[in-house]
Order: sequence, then C-alpha cells, then structure tokens
Amino acid sequence: MAEVHVIGQILGATGFSESSLFCKWGIHTASVGLLLPCTFHHVLRRHLGPLLVLGPGAAWKLLSGVREGQTQVDTPQVGDMAYWSHPIDLHFATKGLQGWPRLHLQVWSQDSFGRCQLAGYGFCHVPSSPGTHQLDCPTWRPLGSWREQLARAFVGGGPQLLHGDAIYSGADRYRLHTAAGGTVHLELGLLLRHFDRYGVEC
Amino acid sequence: MAVQDYKPWGTSPFLQLQAQIPLQSKPEANSVSRACWHSLPQLCSLHGLPSSARSIPCQTTLLKLPTAGPDEMVSEKSHLGDQQEPGHEDPNADARPLSMPTRRGPRSLPPIPSASRTGFAEFSMRERMREKLQAARSKAESALLQEIPTPRPRRLRSPSEKELETEFGTEPGGKIQTTQQEDDSQSYSRVKFRDSVRKIKSKTPVPPGFPSAEEAYNFFTFNFDPEPEESEEKPKAKNRDGANQEEGEGEEEEAPVPEGIDKTDEEVLLDDKDAVDFLLGLDRGAEDIVAVRPADYESVHIRLQKEKELLFIPSRRTVPTYKKLPENVQPRFLEDEGLYIGARLEVPRTNQNIMENRLLMQEPGRRWFGDDGRILALPNPIKPFPSRPLVLTQEQDIKAELETLYKKLQALRNAVQVSLNPAKTPKSLDTTRRAINEYKSEIRQTRKLRDIEQEKDRTLLKTIIKVWKEMKSLREFQRFTNTPLKLVLRKEKVDQKADEEAYEAEIQAEISELLEEHREEYEQRMDEYRSAHQQWKAWKKAQRTKKKKKKQGVEEHPDDEMEEPYPEEDPVKPVPPEPTNQAVIEQEVRERAAQSRRRPGEPMLVPELSLAGSVTPNDQCPRVEVLRREDVKRRSVYLKVLFNDKEVSRTNSRPLGADFRVHFGQIFNLQIVNWPESLTLQVYETVGHSGTTLLAEVFLPIPETTVVTGRAPLEEVEFSSNQHVTLDHEGVGSGVPFSFEADGSNQLTLMTSGKVSNSVSWAIGENGIPLIPPLSQQNIGFRSALKRADAISSIGTSGLTDMKKLAKWAAESKLDPNDPNNAPLMQLILVATSGESYVPDFFRLEQLQQEFNFVSDEELNRSKRFRLLRLRSQEVPEFRNYKQIPVYDREIMEKVFQDYEKRLRDRNVIETKDHIDTHRAIVAKYLQQVRESVINRFLIAKHHFLLADLIVEEEVPNISILGLRLFKLAEQKRPLRPRRKGRKKVTVQNLSDGDIKLLVNIIRAYDIPVRKPITSKFQQPPRSSRTFSEKQAASPTTHSPTHSADYPLSQVLVRPFVEVSFQRTICHTTTADGPNPSWNEELELPFRAPNGDYSTTSLQSVKDDVFINIFDEVLYDVLEDDRERASGIHTRIERHWLGCVKIPFSTIYFQAKIDGTFKIDTPPVLLGYSKERSVVAERGFDPVRSLSEGSYITLFITMEPQLVPGESVREKFDSQEDEKLLQATEKFQAECALKFPNRQCLTTVIDISGKTVFITRYLKPLNPPQELLNAYPNNPQATAELVARYVSLIPFLPDTVSFAGICDLWSTSDQFLDLLAGDEEEHAVLLCNYFLSLGKKAWLMMGNAIPEGPTAYVLTREQSHYLIWNPCSGHFYGQFDTFCPLKSVGCLIGPDNIWFNIQRHDSPLRINFDITKPKLWKSFFSRSLPYPGLSSVQPEELIYQRTDKAAAAELQDRIEKILKEKIMDWRPRHLTRWNRYCTSTLRHFLPLLERSQGEDVEDDHRAELLKQLGDYRFSGFPLHMPYSELKPLIEAVYSTGVHNIDVPNVEFALAVYIHPYPKNVLSVWIYVASLIRNR
Repeated sequence: MAEVHVIGQILGATGFSESSLFCKWGIHTASVGLLLPCTFHHVLRRHLGPLLVLGPGAAWKLLSGVREGQTQVDTPQVGDMAYWSHPIDLHFATKGLQGWPRLHLQVWSQDSFGRCQLAGYGFCHVPSSPGTHQLDCPTWRPLGSWREQLARAFVGGGPQLLHGDAIYSGADRYRLHTAAGGTVHLELGLLLRHFDRYGVEC
Repeated sequence: MAVQDYKPWGTSPFLQLQAQIPLQSKPEANSVSRACWHSLPQLCSLHGLPSSARSIPCQTTLLKLPTAGPDEMVSEKSHLGDQQEPGHEDPNADARPLSMPTRRGPRSLPPIPSASRTGFAEFSMRERMREKLQAARSKAESALLQEIPTPRPRRLRSPSEKELETEFGTEPGGKIQTTQQEDDSQSYSRVKFRDSVRKIKSKTPVPPGFPSAEEAYNFFTFNFDPEPEESEEKPKAKNRDGANQEEGEGEEEEAPVPEGIDKTDEEVLLDDKDAVDFLLGLDRGAEDIVAVRPADYESVHIRLQKEKELLFIPSRRTVPTYKKLPENVQPRFLEDEGLYIGARLEVPRTNQNIMENRLLMQEPGRRWFGDDGRILALPNPIKPFPSRPLVLTQEQDIKAELETLYKKLQALRNAVQVSLNPAKTPKSLDTTRRAINEYKSEIRQTRKLRDIEQEKDRTLLKTIIKVWKEMKSLREFQRFTNTPLKLVLRKEKVDQKADEEAYEAEIQAEISELLEEHREEYEQRMDEYRSAHQQWKAWKKAQRTKKKKKKQGVEEHPDDEMEEPYPEEDPVKPVPPEPTNQAVIEQEVRERAAQSRRRPGEPMLVPELSLAGSVTPNDQCPRVEVLRREDVKRRSVYLKVLFNDKEVSRTNSRPLGADFRVHFGQIFNLQIVNWPESLTLQVYETVGHSGTTLLAEVFLPIPETTVVTGRAPLEEVEFSSNQHVTLDHEGVGSGVPFSFEADGSNQLTLMTSGKVSNSVSWAIGENGIPLIPPLSQQNIGFRSALKRADAISSIGTSGLTDMKKLAKWAAESKLDPNDPNNAPLMQLILVATSGESYVPDFFRLEQLQQEFNFVSDEELNRSKRFRLLRLRSQEVPEFRNYKQIPVYDREIMEKVFQDYEKRLRDRNVIETKDHIDTHRAIVAKYLQQVRESVINRFLIAKHHFLLADLIVEEEVPNISILGLRLFKLAEQKRPLRPRRKGRKKVTVQNLSDGDIKLLVNIIRAYDIPVRKPITSKFQQPPRSSRTFSEKQAASPTTHSPTHSADYPLSQVLVRPFVEVSFQRTICHTTTADGPNPSWNEELELPFRAPNGDYSTTSLQSVKDDVFINIFDEVLYDVLEDDRERASGIHTRIERHWLGCVKIPFSTIYFQAKIDGTFKIDTPPVLLGYSKERSVVAERGFDPVRSLSEGSYITLFITMEPQLVPGESVREKFDSQEDEKLLQATEKFQAECALKFPNRQCLTTVIDISGKTVFITRYLKPLNPPQELLNAYPNNPQATAELVARYVSLIPFLPDTVSFAGICDLWSTSDQFLDLLAGDEEEHAVLLCNYFLSLGKKAWLMMGNAIPEGPTAYVLTREQSHYLIWNPCSGHFYGQFDTFCPLKSVGCLIGPDNIWFNIQRHDSPLRINFDITKPKLWKSFFSRSLPYPGLSSVQPEELIYQRTDKAAAAELQDRIEKILKEKIMDWRPRHLTRWNRYCTSTLRHFLPLLERSQGEDVEDDHRAELLKQLGDYRFSGFPLHMPYSELKPLIEAVYSTGVHNIDVPNVEFALAVYIHPYPKNVLSVWIYVASLIRNR
C-alpha cells in the first residue's frame, strides 16, 4: 500500500571516450535476475519458452509512468558531458520492500554513419530515502577478445550482453571481462508514502 | 541447517594410490622413476583401490596418511614408528594397510639416515663433516692431478637435470638437513612447514636413527649412479599437469634445486679455506693448488654406451597386441559383445605405449593387460566430491580425529552394552532344552561380538589417548592453543578385589561356556564317530565271518582295533574325537581377555571431551598464527539451496568461527511445483570482500514422503573440495602437502572438507495433511531412478517432466545405453513415451515474500486510489485524462468506477436502452468489439511518434527564400485581393481548452429560397400579422392583388443569415438581403476536446458536427394598437429555418481546411418559401447556376491554430494475396505516386479482419432488394435512383471515427448491410455492385470531393454520357455539372482492373472517362500482367429480409415521444403546447413525402394545411434522415431551432414517420412545426 514516486531525470554522462551518446534506461522491480543464475534462464527459455516468473517483483505495481525509455542522442559541443535531461516520472505502489526498483542503463554511442554501438552498461538502485538524490552510475562494457577489441577500434561494434539480466544479476559476471565506461549522472527525487504505516522508517 | 565441523579432511584416494604403486614396480624402478608412474595410478591402480577407499569416513583417514613417495616412507620407517602403529591398529582406516607394505619397498639407494631434528645432531654432524672433509681434502689433494670424476661437469648442467640426477630431490628430509648444515641463511623452499621445522630444531630430543659419521660422509660424497635420468625427465614433464599430488612433489623436488650448486660452492669454499691455511702454514702458491685443464669430455658414444647398459628406455612405439596377450589368444572386445565399458580417461597414446612397454619389460606376467590387450583401467578415477581443507592448523586436524574417535567410542560402548544384555537374559530363562540351545548359540555369538567390540573399544581408547598426546605436543610445540578442546581422562577407581573377582568370574563363565560348548561338540562328534564305527564294525564283521579266522576280543575295544592296520579295508576307520583340554581353553580365554579387556585393577579410563580448554589469546600467539586467525575471521561461508538445479534460496553469509563452525539455523520453505529431482546445497566461501568461491556441492536426498516436519532427524552430510589453497601463514591450506613432523616427513595433503548438518522434510499443511507430492503412478517410479542419473541435471527439471525432450536429449548427448548408470533413464525413455506431464507455466521464486509483505494482494487491489491511477495510466476511456485523483481512498466515490465496471460487465450483454432498435444495438456492440480488437492491434503503433510530433523547428531562411522575399517586395501590391498565407502547424500536445478555435468563414450563398407571397385571397392576413418586411416591401403597393403573380424586382424576397452551431456553441452572421446574399464574415467557435484530451487519437475520434444553418429573419409587427404606430415600432423577430450544411469535425481536422461551395440541405417542403425564383432576373445573370437545383453556400472553414493531423499508420498487414500481386501493387502505386503524387491511387485495402485484400475483389454484381426493382419496372433510371437512395439511407459512419486514426477498413457489402454503418467506400462499393447487377457499366471512382476529402464515388456510363453518383447522399451529377462535389478523380476501379488517371487534369469536368485509352488511363492489369481472375470477397448473393413493420411503427412512436420530451426540455422557461390536430395531419403527410421522395408535394401539402389550419400561422418543415441512432435525430431537430420560438401562445406539432426498407434500413422523417394562432 505504500507508494513510491520517482521523479527525476537522467542528466547526462561524462567520461565516455565516445561522443554522440544516448542512453537506454529501464526501471526494474523484479529481482529475478539477482537470484537466478543465468543458466537457469537459458534452460527455461529453451524448454518452456516464455514463462511467467512470480518473483518478488510482484510486490510492485506501476501505477503510472513509463518503465523504460531512451534518450536522444547528444553530441556535446562544449565540454565533454553529454546532456540528456531525460525525464523519469514513475509512480509505484508496493506491498513489500523486496525488489526495490533499480535503474539499469545502457549507454550507446552513435557514430557519424548512424551506427550505434555500446558504450557501457550501468546499474543502480533507486535511492530509498525521500528527497532529491544526485546519483552517479558508473558503467562498464564487455571487453571481448583482442580481436574483438581491434575490430571495435576500427569498424565499431563489439560484444554486447545477450541478455540484459547480466547487468543487474551478479550470477554470471565472473565470466565477463570488462572495460570501464564513463559515468551516467542522474538526479532522482523520491517521494515515499505510507511506509511508516508499515514500520519502515525513512 | 547448520554447517558443523568445518574441518580439513584429507581423503584423497590419490594418496593411497601413490602409496600402492611401488608394490607393483620392480626394485629397479626406484624412486627416481616415480614421476613417470604418475599416470599409472590414474589408469590402472584403481583396481587395487577398494571401493571403500572413496567412501572412507573422513575422520579415519584424517591425519596420518603419508604422502607416500617411497622416499618419505623410508623416513617414516625410521622416525614415525610410534606414530604409525596406532594408525595400523585403527580398524576403520581401511586405506591404511594399503600403504603399509610400501614402507618396506626396496630402494637402490644406500640406506640413508633420516633427518635429524636436533641441534645436537646438527652440531655433531657439522663436526663430523668437517673431519671428513678434511680427510677428503687430503685425498683430493693427492688426486688433484688426476681426472676429476665425471659427475662434476654434470653439476654444471641445468639445475633441473641435476636435481634429478642426484637423488637429493627425493629426500626432502635429508636435503633440508644438508642445506641447514651448510648454510643456515641459505634461502630454501618456501614450503611453509619448514618454519616450524626450524623452530623445533633446538628443542626436540635426539632421534634414535641418527646417522653415523660414515653415513653422513657417504651422503655427501657418494656419487650416485646416474640412473635412468632420461626416462624420468620426459614423463615428468608430461605429467606436470597431473594430479595435485604431483605438484606437491614437484615443489618438493624443486626445493633442492640450488643445492647442487650450493654444494659445489661449499666445497670450493672449503677448498679456499684450506688453501688459506696452507698459505699461512706452508706458504705455498695458489698455482700449486689450481691447475688449468681442458674441459673434461666424454664422448657421446661412450656415454650412450654406458647409459645403454644402465638405462632402460621404454619405447614409445605401440606394443603389438600379441605381446600383451597370452599366446594364441585373440583379443576380445567386451564392448562389441554388448557389455558396458566405462569411458576411459584420456591418456596420451605415447604415455600408454611407454607404460605398456615398461610393464612388458618389468612384469612379463601380463597381468596388467585385459582381454582386449589394453591396460586394465577403471573409468574415470576422479572423485566426484572435491575436497580441500580450509585454513587450518594441524591442531585442528588432530582435534577432529579425536572428536570422531571419541564419538565412536561412545557408540561402541553402547553397542557393547546392548550386546551384553541379551547375553544375560537366557540364563534366567530355563524353559525348554531347545530354547536353551538356541540361547546358548546366541550367547556364544554375542560373546564373540562383545569381544570384538571390546577390542575395538580399547583400541579406540588407545588412539584417542595417542591423538590427544600428539595434540598436546603440537600445542606445546606451537606454543599456543587454538581450540578450546580438552580431553580429560577420568580414571574411575575400581575396587581391586571386586574387580578381580568380576574379571575372574567372567573368565570362568566364559571358560565354562566354552567347555560346555566343546563338550557338546565332542559328544556330537563322538556320536558321529560311534555310528561310523558301528558301520565300520558291521562291515568288518561281515569280512570276518567270511574269513572265519578272526576271534572276538576285538569288539570290546575298538581303540585297539584302531591301531590295527587293515590295509585292504575300503572304508576308512573313523577316528574318535579328542576330548577337550580345559587348560588349553582357559589359557586361550585368558589371553584374549588380557588383550582386549581392561586388566583387573586397572583404573577405568573414561575419556571426556570438553571445550573447556583455553585458547591462547592473540597477543600471545606468534605472528603467523595471528595472521591465520585473522584470515579465518575474514572468511565467511554461506549456502545456496538448489532445488532441481535452480537456486531457490540462500543462507546469510556467516563468518567462519575460530573452531571452523558456522551456524546458520535457517529454515527454508520451498513451495515446489515441479517434481523434486535433486536438492543440492552449494557451500560458498567468501574471503574478505573478494568474490565467492564454490567450495563444494552437497547433494541431499529427497526425503521420503513419510518424512514430514518435526519427524526429520538432523543429518550430517560431508563435503569436501578439491581447491588448492596455499596460504602464506600457519594455515594448512588445501591440496598442499605438509607434515606434522618437525622434519617435514610423513607428509599429508589435506583438502578442505566439512559437514553440513541439515534436515529435509515435507511440510504439513494447515489441516495436518502432509504436503507431499501426489503419488503419480507415472512419475514416482522413475523419480528415484532419475535422481541417480546424474546427467539429468544437465537438462534441467523442465526437461525431466517432458518425456519427449528427455528422449531427445538422450539421443543428442549420445548416452551409452549399455551404461548401467543410464539404465533407469533408458528404461524410462523407452517405456514412458506417452506420458504427458503437467508443466506449470510459472515458477515461484520466493515463498517468504508473503511473510514480508506489508499488505495482501487483495488489499492492494482494493485500493481505489491505486485503481484509479492505474486506469488513468492505462488510458481506459472512462478515465483518460482524469484530473487530480484524490489522495485518500475515502475521498474517492465508489460510483467513479460504476460506468467502467458496467461496461466491462455488459461487454457481452446487449443493451437496448440506448438503442431503441435491437438490431442497431447488436450492431453497435459488434462495431465496438471490432473497434477494440483493431485498436489493440495498433496499440503500439499508436504510441509511435514522428519527429514532427516532437520537434517544431523554425526553418532558418536560406538565401533563396530571402531572395524570393526581396523579389516579392517589388511585386505589385493588390490590397483588394488578399491571399491566404500558410500557417504554422501546431502539434496537438500542450493544448488546453480554448486554445483551439474553429474558424468558419461564410462568404456567400446562392439561390436561397425566397418567401412566397401569401396567395390565398380568402385568407388575407390581418395587418398586425403581416410580416414586417412584407409590409414594408409591400407598402408602396399596398394590397396589390397582383403581387403574387409577378414579384416586383425591388422587393425584399428573403433576409437570410447564417448560424453556425458547433458543440452547442452558436454564432451567427449579420442578416443579408436577397436570395444571393454575401456575408463575408468570419465566425469563431471554440473547440473543446472530449475530456480535455488533446491528443491526436482523441481529436480524431471527435464525432461532433459543424452545423451551418441558414435562416430567414422575419420581422413581425406586434404592435397591438394601431394608434401607437406613429410613435413606436413593435416588432418581433422570427427566424425560419431554410436549410443546413453539416460538416463533420473529423473532416475539418483531416483536411485542415475546407474551402468551397456546398449544397445546402433544404427540406423537401418549406412552407412559405419557394425555390422558384424570378427566372428572368437570374437566368441572365448566371446561366450555369440555373441548371442546378437547390441552394448553395460558399464556405471556408479551418482551425486556429492549425493542427497536425495524425498520420494513419501504414502497417504491413498479412495478406492472403499472391506475393507477386502484392509486389505489383507496390510497384504500381510507386509509379503512380511518382507521376501524380496528389492523386489517389488505391490498389489494396484492409478488410475488417485486418488483412490486405486486392481492391477489385470487392466489386461484383450484387442484387439489390427485389422490392426496389419492382417499384419502377419500366424505368431503369428511376430504379437506379431508388437504389441509390436505398444505399444512401444506410447510415454514414466514417472509419476515422470508429478506428481513430488507425486505418481505413473496408467491409464487404454483406458486412456493411449487417453493420448498417460505413463510410463512403462501403456505400460506393454497394452502390457500384448494385449498378453492375442492374446491367450498367459502373466503376468505383476514387477522388477528392467536397467536403469529404478523399472519397469514393460511383461512375456509371449511360448511353451517351457519364453520371457521377454520390453514394452517401444518393444524388447524381452529370459529368459537366459544376456543382458536382467531386473535384478530382484519382483512379477508377472496375471488377477486373484499376485505371489510374494520367491525364493532365483531374477535374471530372475536364477529363475523358474513356478507359480504353492507355494514354489517358494507366491500367493495373495489362498485357504484361494479365488479370489472374481474382475471386471476389463479396458473397454470391445478398439476402434481404423484410423489416418488421410493427417494430418500425413502435420505434416511430418511441422516437416521437422522445423528441417531444426533448423539445420540452429545451424550453425550460416556457410552456410547450402540442397541437394534436396538426400533428395528426402531419403524420398523414409524411408517408406521402417518402413515397415521392420529397418532391412535388409542396403545393398539395400547403393547400391541405391551409385548409385545415386556417387560423394558424404555420412554420415548419420535414427532416429526412437515415436512421442509425437517436442522438443524430435529436441533434438535427435541435439545430433547426424550432423550439426557440418564444411567442407566448405558440403551439408545436411533431410527427415522425419511419419507412422500413429491406434489411432493416430505415428512412426517418421528422416533421416539426410551430403554430401561432392568428387573431
């Protein structure tokens, strides 16, 4: 019965070697990925096809707003920060704390030919205390073999995650070799309601 | 669940294997060649490994498993005798005996004294060394001029070779010693236990096996044989990657690497020292000592020769099979015979060859080879359960063993106790003899058992004490205590005498028992003997009687006879048993008792293990120990619970306690929906903040269905890990060899292992029923089988329940069907292929969710606020753009949801309240459903925004635009002819009420009906009631009798004004004069979107119409008294409705502007007005217009600001059309669009189910209702008009309204007639089909019309001319009719072809409709693409049912009633009186109108009315509409403004007539009139 408003914006990104960046984002409330190893997903996908996972995220209901989106492509003219100022406005109702919303971000860069390639994956939790929060979300991207790195340097492209789950699940990360991307800056305002009614102090 | 005893166990079968190998090796295969044997144990020696070796309880093999290289064994022999003895005694150490014989394994080395541990040893050693070296020096001096022995240069070779060459590498103990002797500061191996070795050095007493000086000298100076160095090098290199043991040894062997060099250095050093001595003492020159020589060289040949004698190099070549098999035996391949043979481990072929060659050489017995000529080998020897010890000190290891031993002891005690009890019972029972016998034997067995147990007990006690001693010594040595473990041996004082008595009594009892036993046995045997002897005697007697010469005497003493030899006798003479000797028995018993029992008087030792000991605090520990403890603290452990290989939960991460215990104490509830196949615990270890490592997996059995909560015992499951952990502190690590001994001998390699104590059980439901899986006859059987088949885990649970998948997987993974492991699986696949199991389509992740929830789901769903928020967010129509949802639930009224819920509820219920006609209701419902389904299809596309929707960018003027502007400056200004300028388009977002205005520019009108003079002479209206204008106009010629016949030109005929009503807002123009007024006025009407939603979709679905009504303003003089006429004017303004133009808002929205001249809909009967105009005046003025009938108005309508119309989505629809045809249509359309982008070209359309259909399929001759054909059998033109009228009577409903902004759906004619609603296309198609059926040449004509915009008309070809039919109105126009609303023609569509207009002009006035001319019309099907003969989507025949007249009459009455009520509602401040008489008159009149289609009845009607209502001034008109719903009728009545008359004595008349046409098509006539009584 408690409510969470997430109001804010994805300000922009710094520290990326690429210019012309844009960002895909999404807010997840199910912690499926955290708990299940990736193999599990593969097995399920292979054998059962689409499957309803009744996870802890079922506690969260999106009352209004859009869960995911994509910013425009910003090419910084001055300075190295790409500004998106992409608004985020979500209103959740929850019956529990499990699966607290988390934000996952994918930063992409667009080159002069209009091709998009991955610049970084990032993930951060939506803050749990009310008020305005300035968040910096560092990002990473899979590195790939030297061959792939070379190819990336010259013709673009490069390894991407097959399943976005790996962004926020810790299960299969050990298999990844990653390189650090830049940082995505967020400004999120949190409005919590009725948490105190259930003994959650904030 | 709790992890207990997280201790290192050292169970490694490899160790035991290692120890075993030398058994098989020849003496020559000395320790040096050991390395090449490493591959062997993996291959073959598993034969020797008892299966129990794998499952040895860890506690037994815990401590003293030697890391049994032969070398270590030697040192073991000398030092560890005391340590090992208990190990041998340990009855549980199954593996121990394996390693025992190896200790006596032969070696080629001279006996090497073992390492000394003492400072004394070191000292004396050094002393002796010095002496010997002195001696050696003198010897060397004498030999100085001779050759240097061969090993010398060899030492300069690479260290690795050297290490192998000298045997030092195999003697860790000795090496350490030497290095320490020679150079203590010498840095040597980093093997950690050496630290402790060094520490202990000073303390430990002199070991007995101390080397003599001779030995020590030999040790350093002995030139070891350069034994098979070649053979050892290669395999060693190859086996580097072998078992962990090897690595340990490799490390061991690397330790002495620098040693050879060190030694030489040392010698040189000593030489130098001596030299100095000599220099000092004898004053001799260095050259006397040093001589320069050429490098010593031994030719390769010689060396090879020598080596050949010494070395055996096994060939790498493949050994021919016959050598490996006994002679004349063919190799036999079991696998070919269908027997299962496990997969062998991968071993390189060369290694195998070498092995085989060696075996053949060493052991010609061929016992290593199997029937198939290959080395015997078991399948994969790798232990499935990995193991490694955690950070542990040796103390912990000992402690662990101690603990287990103690437990064992306790258990045994119990056993003994139990076994003793039954021994006593039989004595009290003295029933029958038989029973006693049974009991006796029982007692005997029990006694035996007891003896064994007691012996074990004693052994265990000994072991415990020994281990405890060891531990104590270790603690002493380490100078700290790690564990609070403490063993207290409690001595129980026993009464010496009583004890002795008891002891003696027991012995006596046993002896007597034994004696009894023996006696019985003896008796039995005596019996046997006697009977045998009887027989023998009888036989002998027979013999004797035969011979008759033997005498008696013999019979009495058979013993004597026994002595007598009877060589010829066949039966053997029986031997009498010997009587038992009591003394012997007693001796035996006593011996045994002494061995296994506590001696009398010896105190009873009760070991008590307590945790009362004190642990040395950190500050008193050495640094390494502190480090270790800190490391332990950093480590934490958690468990993952995997159910069916899916992680379902995990425990908290708990730090590892100092005693290596972790207590979790968590209960996990699993609600399972799949068959439980496996339950696994994964033990994870976290070190500090770094990542976690999987230590081991513990497989828990699925509990039996009888095991439910509360009944399940806590079980301990052991696990171990095979990780290698080397620690830089005191900790033992894992997989790293170490030794408890100070000298590093007796090496152990422990792996991390531990126990998890857990209990698994089924839950019990609320009603006490255990929640066990249902007994499915299919699954329960295999489950146990499946559990065992480990491979199952690889395909996951879901695969298991699906037999087909399982079978597929089995086929894919190439399961060996002969493998016994797979047998159950194979059987399962074979047998149960038909089984369809239920696989749930969900998976519950966390059950505990429920416990942590704030509220239940129901409560969450009950919240009105949340519901409202979500509905608004989902854009449910009722809640779309709902503003400001209250904060509290209590503020939200329940009725908010009523409409919505009702709609949901009524989705399938036909609601007849809104729709008077049931059929319409059904249709409306159906339409609604179609609409919903279509909208759902396009939901995503709807949210697709174009760039233009989001970004409005002002174009920066470029040079060309600027130039044009400049050029325009010079242009001549024409202020009197203003031009419209293009406006900026505005997106629909961010708009609110009042922002949008509808601009209606009314320019002029033509041919407005004019007032008719009142013709009747007998009804001369009184002066007061004459119209004001009439009066005024007529004033010059007052009461002229001729004014009806010839109107004077100057007379005011009509004073029209225009009123525009939109969304109930009304504006009107000023009043103009005359039938051709020119207003040129702009009216501004505000636009309000429904629910304040200005989104594109919302605007598109606005159904409001703009009504443009033309009224005649009539002024009446109401002055009551003629006398006041001079001083005042009293007039009343009345307005008479003349006609209207209705334009839907959607048309305006999509067209952006509407500009043109429209025909005014005038009622067929307009009392008091005439369309006959003064022909003379008009004709000359505009001859063209005279051709037309009716009135026209010129309008310009637009919106301010201009809105961007929503793009209709052109999605790619699936189609059943031929792919080629579709490609052709695309090509055709592209070509047409290239040439004339503005002309409409239609080739494919979307049918009502959302499929693309080729357009010509819609055209097919279809029969009109027979009724219509019968009306004018001889007049085809009249029939055609009637048919057109019929079609036009079907209500018009634009697609854009019903499918807002999505697409244009075409329904077939029967669907259209069923729905009774459709837009231009459907009307046109139906009309075209009717015309085709009537035998006309007819085409569908796509083009632009006013006001519809892009629309469809029908073109027919009459004898000489073409007619253009408007299907929605039923009107037809000639090709050259100026007032034809069709303004441009894009394409013509026939039943078999499409023609695109490629003429220069597209106005129907100016184009040629001859489609045969390819230059004018581009046809779709041509010679290159012939018409394929497409079948029609239309039905074969339309079936019309006659409409129920009674229902129509009923509907008529209801409409009339409703309209009357409405009119009364609209006049809230006035009394509304109904003139019944007039109403009935009108009611009679309406059917006439229908029959004549509103023509040629006016005069009769007027006459009749005048006759009947002579006293009334009558103004009114009939309205004609197709019937769809009630609302348009009401709107239409409202827009006429009849109700607006507020004359006090006004009366109203309203009549409704419905004429039913076939197929429920209804033509509605409404006559509204107002009557004012003339006074």
